[in-house]
Amino acid sequence: MQQLPLEGIRIVDFTAVWAGPHVTQWMAVMGAEVIKIESNLRPDMTRSFFSNVNTNLTMSAEYSGLNCGKKACTLNMTLPKARELVKELIKVSDIVTENFGGSVMDRWELGYSDLKKIKPDIIMYSGSGFGRTGPYKEFPAYAGIVEAFGGLCSLNGYPGGEPLPMATFGYADITSAEHGAFAILAALHHRSKTGEGQYVDLSMTEVVSCLLYEQIMDYTMNDRVQGLQGNWNSTMAPHSCYRCQGDDEWVAIAVSNDEEWKAFCYTIGNPEWTMDERFRDGLNRLKNQEELDRLIEEWTKNHTHYEVMEVLQKAGVMAGPTLKVAEVVQDRHLGERGFFIDVGHPDVGTVRFPRLPWRLSEGPQGNYEQPPRLGEHNDYVFAELLHLSKEEMARLQEEQVIF
Amino acid sequence: MSTQALSGLKVVEWSEFVSGPYCGKLLADLGAEVIKVEKPGSGDKSRSYGPFPQKIPHPEKSGLFLYLNTNKLGVTLNVKSTTGAEIFKGLIKQADILIENKPPREVEELGFDYQSLKNLNPGLVMTSITPFGQAGPYRDYKSCDLISFHMSGMAFINPSDGVDDIENKAPLRGATLQADLVAGLNGAIATMSAIFARQITGLGQQVDLSEQEALASFMRRELGVVTVEGIGWTRLKGTQPGMASDIYQCSDGRIYLICFHDRTWEPWIEFMGNPDWATSELFADMASRRENWDAAKAMIEEWTKEHSVDEIVRTAEAMRIPCKPVNTAKEIVESELLEARDYFANVDHKQAGKVKFPGAPYKLSETPWRVEHPAPLLGEHNEKVYCDRLGYTKQDLVRMRAGEVI
Amino acid sequence: MTMQALSGLKVVEWCEFISGPYCGKLLADLGAEVIKIERPGLGDKARSHGPFPQDIPHPEKSGTFLYLNTNKLGVTLNVRSTTGAEIFKQLVKQADILVENNPPREVEELGFNYESLKKLNPRLVMTSITPFGQTGPYRDYKSCDLISFHVSGMAYINPSCGVDDIEQKPPLRGSENQSGLVAGLSGAIATMSAIFASHATGLGQHVDISEQEALANVMRITLGTYALEDVAWTRYRPVPLSEIYHCNDGLVYMVLDQDKTWLSWVEAMGNPEWAMSELFQDQVSRRENRDAGKMLIEEWTKEHTVDEVVRAAEARRIPCKAVNTVKESFSSELLADRGYFVEVDHTAAGKFQYPGAPCKLSLTPWRVERPAPLLGQHNEDVFCGRLGYTRQDLVTMRAQGAI
Repeated sequence: MQQLPLEGIRIVDFTAVWAGPHVTQWMAVMGAEVIKIESNLRPDMTRSFFSNVNTNLTMSAEYSGLNCGKKACTLNMTLPKARELVKELIKVSDIVTENFGGSVMDRWELGYSDLKKIKPDIIMYSGSGFGRTGPYKEFPAYAGIVEAFGGLCSLNGYPGGEPLPMATFGYADITSAEHGAFAILAALHHRSKTGEGQYVDLSMTEVVSCLLYEQIMDYTMNDRVQGLQGNWNSTMAPHSCYRCQGDDEWVAIAVSNDEEWKAFCYTIGNPEWTMDERFRDGLNRLKNQEELDRLIEEWTKNHTHYEVMEVLQKAGVMAGPTLKVAEVVQDRHLGERGFFIDVGHPDVGTVRFPRLPWRLSEGPQGNYEQPPRLGEHNDYVFAELLHLSKEEMARLQEEQVIF
Repeated sequence: MSTQALSGLKVVEWSEFVSGPYCGKLLADLGAEVIKVEKPGSGDKSRSYGPFPQKIPHPEKSGLFLYLNTNKLGVTLNVKSTTGAEIFKGLIKQADILIENKPPREVEELGFDYQSLKNLNPGLVMTSITPFGQAGPYRDYKSCDLISFHMSGMAFINPSDGVDDIENKAPLRGATLQADLVAGLNGAIATMSAIFARQITGLGQQVDLSEQEALASFMRRELGVVTVEGIGWTRLKGTQPGMASDIYQCSDGRIYLICFHDRTWEPWIEFMGNPDWATSELFADMASRRENWDAAKAMIEEWTKEHSVDEIVRTAEAMRIPCKPVNTAKEIVESELLEARDYFANVDHKQAGKVKFPGAPYKLSETPWRVEHPAPLLGEHNEKVYCDRLGYTKQDLVRMRAGEVI
Repeated sequence: MTMQALSGLKVVEWCEFISGPYCGKLLADLGAEVIKIERPGLGDKARSHGPFPQDIPHPEKSGTFLYLNTNKLGVTLNVRSTTGAEIFKQLVKQADILVENNPPREVEELGFNYESLKKLNPRLVMTSITPFGQTGPYRDYKSCDLISFHVSGMAYINPSCGVDDIEQKPPLRGSENQSGLVAGLSGAIATMSAIFASHATGLGQHVDISEQEALANVMRITLGTYALEDVAWTRYRPVPLSEIYHCNDGLVYMVLDQDKTWLSWVEAMGNPEWAMSELFQDQVSRRENRDAGKMLIEEWTKEHTVDEVVRAAEARRIPCKAVNTVKESFSSELLADRGYFVEVDHTAAGKFQYPGAPCKLSLTPWRVERPAPLLGQHNEDVFCGRLGYTRQDLVTMRAQGAI
């Protein structure tokens, strides 16, 4: 029977909200057994984050999208006994993950140096806004803040306009989580060769800087601060987003060389203005791109965005519709590729979620089992893994340790 | 700085490998300003060609490129892009001479044929160097050094001597690259001729140079003999039948010796110690010596095989008998004679380091040949040419690089 | 020399520009041996991209290339020549991983598709990173950073706020290059996952990464919310009270999404009367009246400096930071304290500061063993040293255009 790549790996997961659970979502999909440590006093906040505030669902989309295939148990970590139990769990686990807004793990005596004593080859991952060292180590992480600090906002906006917060709060969250997942896998790889664990300290701010290398290098090489480019590009023109037929429908078009420009002009019927000196060669097109964009929109506005893509792609020109959320779900390419899968949900049966963005040619594609309810796997964790008897468990529940 | 012979002449060189660049070099080395246009990325083909120091290929250290492109300014330009074509025309407008060695069809398709460029710049001399010229049934045929040599007729009568049973051997191209060099050389002469013509008429013209013809011209004598006397020299020994101009094996090398003339025969025989065979009637005078030269050569070689190159050459020279060693490159580079003539150039190149290569085959008394600067790095003068002369900004250049225009 | 996390892994990178090379960089920076194949002459497109010191284009001094290709060995190879194809196959035979980001059709035409390479090396993990993946109706469509961002759905919901009359503006790509980086990052994680799978099976596989999906995954919660709650985020801010505010000398980003922080901030502003209104009494009403709330808060912040606002907020543990340009984040004490930026000395380009590690590993730290390679720098090491060619062979291959 074919197994998933991380089968046999157990992760004790203290992460919550967005960035942290995204890390362990990748791990769970790849087959690791991820055990969320929550508490009735402190469930993962996202469980109850609903956009539609009047919903009667017991589990939000936000929570579901980040916690497929994981297990969940409850432990009231304020109590010493709970921390004892967690240590027992860690003894039989491979990785511990956390993204607290501060040195909570240290205070619980569950910091890396503590964990190393109970399991020498443990791999511990800490995700935070500013890193687990330095004057900001106690500050919680917010994607928008980190994006602002790191310079991402100063690069997101319309030419002549102002820095703007980026889409779907969480760009920094997800990219940080993914860098974290990669680092954990690297640490696991090292462990498989040497038997050694280690500590992984991820700062979201630093991830953002990695993603802004081009603008940073321009600053370190040339002392230059790049400004807002909107949908433009420093070397290609046309390169922007154009209005199409319909309500708030748009298409993105980019032309990168003379051949493509010729094909583009031909496709739009070789209007006279394309022969104008201002647009005939690449350098001049860049210099006159505002006017160019205006003229192109005269054409795109008479077509739907998908039409524009099809007719330009046929001619070998880069074009793609600006998809709305609903349109992403309905896009035929993503549909044929099976990007969306059915995930179990306690209230509605199944719900369509995007899978994680990779396909493997061999073996099962991933564990997308229904996300766990609060405390759903208490029996598994405490009775099976930690061999507590029924009586002990009952007592601990009464004492609100398992709570 | 003193003016050089061709100072003031502005040349754009849109060519690669050997023929065009050698033409450009000849002009550049005597002071013409030559802007060499190379395609972005790999540049002139000769950069990939070697020889390379320690046999490590490197585009800035190809011996062929370094030699053929001394004294030129180098820019990168993709003339097939629309922006690149604009820039090319900008350069042409400012030039006296354009040297190109591209396939004629390509030149036409790009709109850079002479008729078009003439409109931009009526004074332009456009020198086009191609394997078969701008017109004729072979115009678009593909060729190279080997093909040119064979189609010129030269290969059939090469070598002139030294092979038994020559008919069982293939006709022979000479040393490598000669065909291309000759084409470039002819191009340079013709270009200067057109420049002189322009001084009179004020107008430029196209110089149409066919490599096949340039090489065939070497055989003016042979071609004259066949057209006038109806005699076609074949693969017989000697540059003319019975020339008796030979290579002889010595104990430690080879010599090239011409000793059959009346004036030289006597001293030579004396040098050999007046052997008996030399008194034969077969060798009594020049005419008979020519007829029986095979025999004479065989006998002479029996003697030279017992003596060293050095001994023979020194003695022969003292007797004013034409005789020199058959050298390899090594001996040429170490030659005292060439040293005394200050023949070699020693150049310090930014990447290749110190390089030594042949200088000029001529010396001009007032405006001597010299290396003002070594062959350019790829794109070394982009800023100097595009910004200073054509008015582009540095930012334009950055964009053009990303767009693969330069 | 201490072992690094991914030491021993052998990677061949047949990629250019951003997506593939970033995947290769992530592996190389943690110790994998990455042999980067570039075509002779121009090399990787990134070499032409800049930024360049003093704006002087030079193929060995492109900031984009230098950053994305640290720690790799570089060779030139024309895989379209028969000799080059032979050499490519030999390199693949010796590798654990092949990362490539070439158009699928081209890969097939060259005979380098997974089915063919698998026969040469059954252990091979081949990671293909393309705009739309290896299958589906858009498979052969042309794309770039702009297009990916728009077809993933991210552009439509960017920015998340801050613009009056958003419908008059086109949807917005964020800062440049993110699409390729996110795709490369997804590729790195999936590659490691396949490596783990191969530990169990002894066999490799094909990893298929679509840039469109990699970015759409960043919005998984958004897509999930649509699926579960039928709420589609449009071009109106769905994120409550996560805003950019004007100060008298700049901008700050502040998050007031909790009762606790809201009340603290109201207090910081001196308990203005307007804040007592019903309109702002709880989270729900604050969301509904966010435009008014923002305007009123801004009346206060406009009277203060960025520095004052940030200090006041941080003292109350309210998430708040200045909206920095890369210059300010580069010069920040915070990042200096973490030792985040690193100086790299490159033989041609010289010394510059580069963004450093996306996270810190305690035992096998990220480091720059060698800077980005010169074009063809390791031809001899690789072709002679590992494949047994002679120097003379290399001279011939150069003249023939194979390397």
